[in-house]
Amino acid sequence: MIAGLDGLNKAFESKARLGIMSVLVANEFVDFTTLKELLQLTDGNLASHTRSLEDLGYIRCEKSFVGRKPNTRFYATEAGRTAFADHIAALESFLKNQK
Amino acid sequence: MKEKEVIQTLDDIRDMMSKSSRFQAVSGVSIIVVGVYACIASILGYLFIGAPDMLPFLSGRQDVFQLNTPYRIRLACLLAVGLFVLSLATVILMAYAKARRHDLRFVADKRMLQMAFNFLLPLAVGGLLCMALILQGHYGLTSSIMLLFYGLALVNCQHYTYPVLRFLGYAEILLGIIDCFSIHYALLFWFIGFGLLHILFGIFYITKYDKVK
Repeated sequence: MIAGLDGLNKAFESKARLGIMSVLVANEFVDFTTLKELLQLTDGNLASHTRSLEDLGYIRCEKSFVGRKPNTRFYATEAGRTAFADHIAALESFLKNQK
Repeated sequence: MKEKEVIQTLDDIRDMMSKSSRFQAVSGVSIIVVGVYACIASILGYLFIGAPDMLPFLSGRQDVFQLNTPYRIRLACLLAVGLFVLSLATVILMAYAKARRHDLRFVADKRMLQMAFNFLLPLAVGGLLCMALILQGHYGLTSSIMLLFYGLALVNCQHYTYPVLRFLGYAEILLGIIDCFSIHYALLFWFIGFGLLHILFGIFYITKYDKVK
């Protein structure tokens, strides 16, 4: 992706992580399967991206069981929402400066 | 080149946000089809209230066409309920087909159930009110109540799908209010509200949202 612009967040350089944040910011929560289908990622791929976002404190997950099947829900944290908004603001200000 | 990439990224983000949070599977063609159903139904209604002789299955049964006979009311209710069921089935089936075609989500998840609830609650309340009024012999406001509550139902579920839906809702509400204050033109308002407005909105919807990307 676009590197070297001011104010861009390194965490959102990957398309998958940016996609995860877009979905979570727009929804109260999203479960693992839905997220996987929306972004068309594999299980392992999605798991590693969500883990890295979780480590940064941008998202949190809640694990529960539906019957015997594990069900993971992801939520965007306040920090995540702020970081995402800042990232978009940086992209937009770049566009403005081009004109 | 960077500019293009940034624009593309912002577009992707916007797409993903609305794809994940809004129900986009409703097909524009189905809205038009529903409008056509309603046009046909109101013409049928007009014929058997205003000019029953023109309907073959009713000709020669003048005896039942005294104003507001229970038989005729029953027929009209049957027509309205039939139209509602047929329309709902059409919209759902065509939405399912569109979701399959464009790889959109069509799962009975929490959001979809919320949307169904928010749409059906005003409709159910309006329907019961209509039924109560008809049972008590007040037929005059039936069409305006249908328009008003249908409009409220549309406005009520705008957050679950494309927000422009609310404008169709506002139009139905406005029409319903005018209908409240005018007598004799119930079927005309019905024809405009459920028929013409749907067809017009369907055409607008197709040009704006149904284009294949």
